[in-house]
Amino acid sequence: MVSTVQAAVGQYFKNISNAVTSTFEGMAVTMSWMFRRPMTIQYPDKIEKPIEETLPDCYRGVLEVDTGICTGCMACQKACPIGCIRIKVGKNAETAERMLERFDIYVARCMFCGLCSEACPTGAIHHTSHFEIANDKLENLLLRYVPANPTPVYKPKKDVEPVTQPRGQAYLAARKHCTHAWRKEERHGDR
Amino acid sequence: MLEPKAQPADGVLRINMGPQHPATHGVISFMVETDGEIMRKATPDVGFLHRGVEKMAEITSYPGFMPYTDRVDYLASMFANHGYAMAVERLLALEVPRKAQYLRVIADELNRIASHLVATGTMAMDLGAFTPFTHWIRERESINDFMELICGARLTYNYLRVGGVCADWPVGLTEKILLWLDHFEPIIDEFNRLITGNEIFINRLANVAVIPGAMAVDWALSGPNLRASGVPFDLRRCQPYSVYPELQFDLAVGTGSRGTVGDCYDRFWVRIVEMRESCRMLRQLLAGIPEGDFKAKVGRTIKVPAGEVYSAVESARGEIGYYLVADGTDRPVRVKIRTGSFTAVALVEPISRGLMLADLVAVIGSLDIVAPEIDR
Amino acid sequence: MKALADILVVQLLGQDPGSWPFTWVVYAAVMLVGGALAMTFVALFAGPVTVVERRVAGRMMSRIGPNRVGPQGVIQWLADGLKCFLKEDLIPDEADHPLFRLAPYLVFAGMFGTFVVLPFGAHLVAADLNVGVLYLFAISSIVVVGILAAGWSSNSKWGLFGAFRAAAQIISYEVPSALSVLTVVLFAGTLSLQGLIREQGGMPWDWFIFRTPFTFAAFFLFFTSALAEGNRTPFDLPEAESELVAGYHTEYSGMRFLFFLFAEWANLWIMSAVAVACFLGGWNIPGVSPATIDASQGLAFWSFQAISFAVFAAKTSVLVFVVIQLRWTLPRLRVDQLLEMCWKYLVPLSFACLLGVLVWAWAVTAGSAVDLAMRLIMTCLGVAALVAYARRVRFNYVADKDNYLKMTGKELWYPPYRLP
Repeated sequence: MVSTVQAAVGQYFKNISNAVTSTFEGMAVTMSWMFRRPMTIQYPDKIEKPIEETLPDCYRGVLEVDTGICTGCMACQKACPIGCIRIKVGKNAETAERMLERFDIYVARCMFCGLCSEACPTGAIHHTSHFEIANDKLENLLLRYVPANPTPVYKPKKDVEPVTQPRGQAYLAARKHCTHAWRKEERHGDR
Repeated sequence: MLEPKAQPADGVLRINMGPQHPATHGVISFMVETDGEIMRKATPDVGFLHRGVEKMAEITSYPGFMPYTDRVDYLASMFANHGYAMAVERLLALEVPRKAQYLRVIADELNRIASHLVATGTMAMDLGAFTPFTHWIRERESINDFMELICGARLTYNYLRVGGVCADWPVGLTEKILLWLDHFEPIIDEFNRLITGNEIFINRLANVAVIPGAMAVDWALSGPNLRASGVPFDLRRCQPYSVYPELQFDLAVGTGSRGTVGDCYDRFWVRIVEMRESCRMLRQLLAGIPEGDFKAKVGRTIKVPAGEVYSAVESARGEIGYYLVADGTDRPVRVKIRTGSFTAVALVEPISRGLMLADLVAVIGSLDIVAPEIDR
Repeated sequence: MKALADILVVQLLGQDPGSWPFTWVVYAAVMLVGGALAMTFVALFAGPVTVVERRVAGRMMSRIGPNRVGPQGVIQWLADGLKCFLKEDLIPDEADHPLFRLAPYLVFAGMFGTFVVLPFGAHLVAADLNVGVLYLFAISSIVVVGILAAGWSSNSKWGLFGAFRAAAQIISYEVPSALSVLTVVLFAGTLSLQGLIREQGGMPWDWFIFRTPFTFAAFFLFFTSALAEGNRTPFDLPEAESELVAGYHTEYSGMRFLFFLFAEWANLWIMSAVAVACFLGGWNIPGVSPATIDASQGLAFWSFQAISFAVFAAKTSVLVFVVIQLRWTLPRLRVDQLLEMCWKYLVPLSFACLLGVLVWAWAVTAGSAVDLAMRLIMTCLGVAALVAYARRVRFNYVADKDNYLKMTGKELWYPPYRLP
């Protein structure tokens, strides 16, 4: 009987001392954080470089197509699990060469999985490092990479290096062809 | 003007917690019947996040289904990838190169740490301690940065492919991860000083919602929840796959150090210990990445011969199992995904009888339930 | 305030107010002005303290707080206040409209009523009641009525739960907080707050907290009880976001909601100010006795007022910082644990402290060798506790310093005065 009372009293004071010491330790930890560097990156205005330049090369941003090296094999359209790529390859009436008539990527549906860029034999379709595609019009998210006239498909030649565009350029060009201006361009000018 | 539905006058308060609620992890609804502060019953109502992933599998090709598996549990997506890839490879009888297996397990363990960071952080946040959560998110950002360098995405990785992984190991990443591990392991100690050892936190979690080992096995609990109830079952040890037979690690089993075996504190504690074990495994893995291919040669279209297979991996939340039925075409006939949260959420009802309303939040958090895993 | 009004009239106008007819009009006017000044102070404190709390909370969470509205975010509170002003006044149809409207004002009145007895400086107090402490506890209980009215009139189950919990909490914690303050009242022999402060001195060993180990414990008991009275974490279950949406003020929005929060932030000052006044020496300037301040004239008098206000504000700000830090460090107590802590731990301990102080005050005369020895020992203990805390803080910092530098290439050192 006495020992249970003793145990209870002991437990009582042990509870108090545990509460005090653990609070003390916790306060010491949070106080130490007042002297440590915060991890906040004040995006988008107080950063040193544009965010696209800080992302690694393999970053899976918005898709773009360099139609100059697209062979029209449609491997990307087959690989896409969602079906957000629509390609139309036709034949030029005079020269009978294959022409890219349409290359639409519906970015609103794209889940940025990267299966299309893996399937591409030349690397024509690839991810950019752009991700700021928020828009108030759904039509603007349909990127047409063959905006006007059909372009001939690329035929790889032996020992001839293909001419490629820098990463991101085709995407920015395709954005310009949207019917409604992108909101950011209206506010900040072209980036 | 709608008249409110007549409530039976039996003194029981019927409250609907969710589907939008700050404490349910995702879109789950709980219909709680309370008698004052003590709960009589808390019935989960699931299905709000059902997206038909298993149905999508029937109309998507085998390699095309991999991104869908990411979304089954977006906090621990690598495990879902791994389970699916293993299922398809078993039916194909495909051998995965050793380097690919190493890379898979490295990504797995990084993802396990990331998932446990969220689990323990949100559990602390639900109980009112907001600071540990943000510290854990900061650490998780480092893991996201590593995954960005590995595969290009920060949350839904789509890193694995049938036969290996999608990209080679980047140069210089091993050193970065090791430096981060040197920083992270003392931070776990600091986290323990801040919150795990806190008397208030222990009193909120100890002896609450005890799940005895036998009950855990009966209700098909898996993962850290099962180990916290004292059952030393881990698929990495008991049904080893991939590189795990070569790794040295200890199982984190609940010991009831602050309360009873299988209470909420044990489930929390097991996750902290598992993070440390994952760090240990990462160091072993990073020290010995072999040379070789990162992906086996597989054709662009995969036609899986007819057959059925069940393949399971030890995810951060339990066992993710894929029951794959194939018939020789390039699309599966049926993919059934078995997740840990689905069985865990079933346990909320029996163990919450007699608890207080504030404990329900602790229970949901300690079982580490995420809605996408339940509903798929 | 009457003393101050007398001094003002004597010094500025050179006339004796006793010789005026209708002196009560003048005194009433001065009281109103004092009340208005206190109200302004409350508003000017409760607003910016939100920004301070958010910045401090941000740094503890390894992030920056709000820093966009105004330079370094200093007028964030104005933006938030304006936003709440402009919100739609939403009253649920099923709610009890008169009670719903009344509840925020009750809470506000209960909180603001305490400011009239709070001293700000040597003679800067709106009304130095000789039952100051009793009045303080009494008027702050009106908050309970307001909270119950808010929860009940919301006609919402969530609100009801929160109101019941809050009422139980506040009523229960009145007991240990009153008992703890009674320990220092025993030493001072007066319930008036100014009287309590005058009994202490400027130097730490003159403060009541270091007088006996019982008052040392009573300080922490009072601080904990005051935290619970103010619904601050770890006792903020009535407004637990993640558990009950928002407790008793779930159905409130816009300016009505802001009234509840306003009362909570102003309560930060109240709980710290009372703790400072009762235990930490109040506005006493080290080296200057209250008698000197009473006897001074003209510029010396007013500069003493200013310095004593600065001393008081500095001590209160330190305690407000501790309250903020506690909120962002500790998790929440469950309601039964909260009540258990009050009735099983705080109340017996505060009774024990009261008994101890009774015995001490009877056995030991002030100024004797035993008294001085105990004061010195307690001061050394207090300083040792602070030093241990500082060393622990440094340990936590140093444990991460080198690894962080190696990992990111940047210095970890980023003290609070270095703003982003």
